[in-house]
Amino acid sequence: MSDRVEASVLEISELTKRFGGVTAVNRCSLALAPGRIYGLIGPNGSGKTTLFDCITGLIVRDGGTVRFRGRRIDGLPPHRVAALGVGRTFQVIRVFPELTALENLLVVSRRDRDGALRRARELLAFVRLDELAAEYAGNLSYGQQKLLEFVRVLMLGPTVVLLDEPAAGVNRTLLNELLAAIRRLRDEGRTILIVEHDMKVVMGLCEHVFVLDYGEKIAEGPPEEIQRDERVIEAYFGR
Amino acid sequence: MNVVITPAMVGQVVVSGLLAGALYSMVALGLALIFGVMRVINVAHGTLLTMGAYTTFWWFRLLGVNPYLSLLVSMPVMFVVGIGLQRAMVRRVVNAPELSSLLLTFGISIALVNGLQLAFTSDLRTVEFLTGAFVVGGVALSKSRLVAFGFALVITLGAYWFLQATRFGKAIRATSQSPMVAMVCGVNVERVHLYTFGIASALAAAGGSLVAIMFAIQPEMGQVYTFKSFLVIVLGGAGNYPGALLGGMLLGLIEQLSSLFLTTQLSEAVAYVLLVLVLLVRPTGLLGGRAT
Amino acid sequence: MRGLVVAGLAVALVLLVLYPMVASGYEIRFMLQLFMWVALAQSWNLISGLTGYVSFGHVAFFGTGAYATGILITTHGWHWAAASVAGGLAAAILALIIGYPCLRLKGPYFAIAMLGLNEVMRVLVSYFEGLTGGGMGLSLPTLYASVQIYYAMAIAALAVTGAAYLIVTSRFGLRLMTIREDEIAAAAMGIDTARHKLYAFLLSAFVPGVVGGLFARDQGYIEPIAVFPLAFTITMIVMALFGGKGTVWGPALGAATLFVLQELVWVRFLFLHQVLFGAIIILVVLFMPRGVLGVLQQRYRLPRYV
Repeated sequence: MSDRVEASVLEISELTKRFGGVTAVNRCSLALAPGRIYGLIGPNGSGKTTLFDCITGLIVRDGGTVRFRGRRIDGLPPHRVAALGVGRTFQVIRVFPELTALENLLVVSRRDRDGALRRARELLAFVRLDELAAEYAGNLSYGQQKLLEFVRVLMLGPTVVLLDEPAAGVNRTLLNELLAAIRRLRDEGRTILIVEHDMKVVMGLCEHVFVLDYGEKIAEGPPEEIQRDERVIEAYFGR
Repeated sequence: MNVVITPAMVGQVVVSGLLAGALYSMVALGLALIFGVMRVINVAHGTLLTMGAYTTFWWFRLLGVNPYLSLLVSMPVMFVVGIGLQRAMVRRVVNAPELSSLLLTFGISIALVNGLQLAFTSDLRTVEFLTGAFVVGGVALSKSRLVAFGFALVITLGAYWFLQATRFGKAIRATSQSPMVAMVCGVNVERVHLYTFGIASALAAAGGSLVAIMFAIQPEMGQVYTFKSFLVIVLGGAGNYPGALLGGMLLGLIEQLSSLFLTTQLSEAVAYVLLVLVLLVRPTGLLGGRAT
Repeated sequence: MRGLVVAGLAVALVLLVLYPMVASGYEIRFMLQLFMWVALAQSWNLISGLTGYVSFGHVAFFGTGAYATGILITTHGWHWAAASVAGGLAAAILALIIGYPCLRLKGPYFAIAMLGLNEVMRVLVSYFEGLTGGGMGLSLPTLYASVQIYYAMAIAALAVTGAAYLIVTSRFGLRLMTIREDEIAAAAMGIDTARHKLYAFLLSAFVPGVVGGLFARDQGYIEPIAVFPLAFTITMIVMALFGGKGTVWGPALGAATLFVLQELVWVRFLFLHQVLFGAIIILVVLFMPRGVLGVLQQRYRLPRYV
């Protein structure tokens, strides 16, 4: 157990967030090792997005710690967390509509400033948006915006990528490309945590799955185990 | 400065503050309704109040009848004017970025003020009706302010009752909670917007009518009331309707209290400094309210 | 094409330099005021057009600059040029004090706080009579310097337009726009939004401070209601909006167009002046909220430096 903790790139421990009387995240602990793909699942309202928000500093947690490469990042403002190497996408598309596709990537904070333009062009080509580089992001189709947001987070050069429902509303062809891209990120040594509702995606992609229910982690393990877990089945279908 | 504070002075401050506060509450409730329901910051609110004031002035000047009866005219008239403004212009900036509503209503305001100047000149006008004061235990109670307090309180409470108890009032509150949900539940949101602006204008007009009986009026006086209404809804919490009542009273008290120690001018600045402070500490107002 | 543009700008510059030698006193002051409005609309655009934070009390910086300059000239005998720069610094310091806390406010609350700031400044200036002359106003020593002030205003207008060009075409400017587009997403992309907003705010306050100082020198007399009018704020906003907020040339175009219209057309309708002003505001908001350049830019996909 202890060697796994040492090896984790992102370690969340006892994280708690309350909204008024509601505890959205309750003493959640997750440890992510480098170069792996993790899934985060749970019924609607189980606290998945809130957990993302706490990790990335968009909302201030009420308790617990978040460590990135051993360094505490809870309490840091969101732009610092992002610049350190924890990137995220959003459940609802949040591209900058009145910036062009290329500009959407260029604004992202990077250590390697001069390489930004080259990297941005690479990434646009990677998701086949290179011909739409000069188009306003708001004029792109839903799927294109989804892809743009996906590569925008890569501009950060993130060590950890949190993806909030990347597959939602994406058609089959695009989905396969997206999944391939995510695996490629893993092969580059990045760590990925995915919130996803499509169980096929989760089971096919993730190596390790966390299950949240009412803000608490009720199970974790390899996908095959999770599928058979009594508590998980109950959380989804029971009560 | 050497100020000796006597109990009578404190009493005076509290009484004058509350008397003024009720009127602020009533006027600001209109502004709060428009902001809450449509996310529109109505800079023309004070100008609608001015129009109510002129209605009362001319009613009294031409007919010579008890000016308090003019509320029966100014409120319905401004209700209709408000609906007209909403229908013709304001509805186009509902839920638009705040810049649009700020500028649009400023444009309406400046055009209306200029219209009033052209029609009635910039002369100060007064309604000489209820003058003098009662003195109770060293505290002076201006008669006209006392009556205005009564009217404002009754009208404000009436408006709250309307919001709370009637079907349409509930539709208004539902819309300000969530326009989407209200729409799904069968509320005609466009119609809610229309009548909300009408009701808000009538509340402003009532304020104007009461002001006209207390103070001299002129076409540009409205801006002060617009600003005061902003203060009230910030103090009370934007989109939190009962908050307007508390905010109004609070503003009245703060104004009177600071005028004890400071010149009138500086006490105005105190109110704004307070506005900024409250915004910073509790952006949704002291009582809390709907965040943007 | 680029050469042509540069040549055109050079010719325009020469004409502007030579203009006072052939122009009458009225004509010089006409252009002086036009430059003033260009500078004001441009500076408002830097904070509000780019970041979307609506400074609804921007004239507070103009008035602060005017008074700082006026006081330095009258009581300390400063040269007006130095005093105007100091006026700009005074405005920037005010922006720092007020911006640091207020730029955390969202949407309408920031606008209302800025409106409040302007009121506070007007009241404070009226109150500290010993320093400012209070409601009686402040008279500056007589000086005939229209031509010099014309040049100074022209430099201010060109400088802020140049700054707008550099900003809008830079990554810094794009990042300011991300704040307007989606501040949360911007922060999640590693952009220090608070710092960006503050820098833009300081710059956008400095220019009106300088221009306010030049205005004070040009007028020779200032009073609180003359240098803190809400209508000035609205005018600069409408100019920026008409030309195209968030663009480089839009505010300049809007300022020039509306100022010329006002001077040549509206002054003939003295009584209806304000009604016409109100109508223009309403028309711009309802029918061209993106502005002339904004519409062209979207339709023809023009690059940002246009």
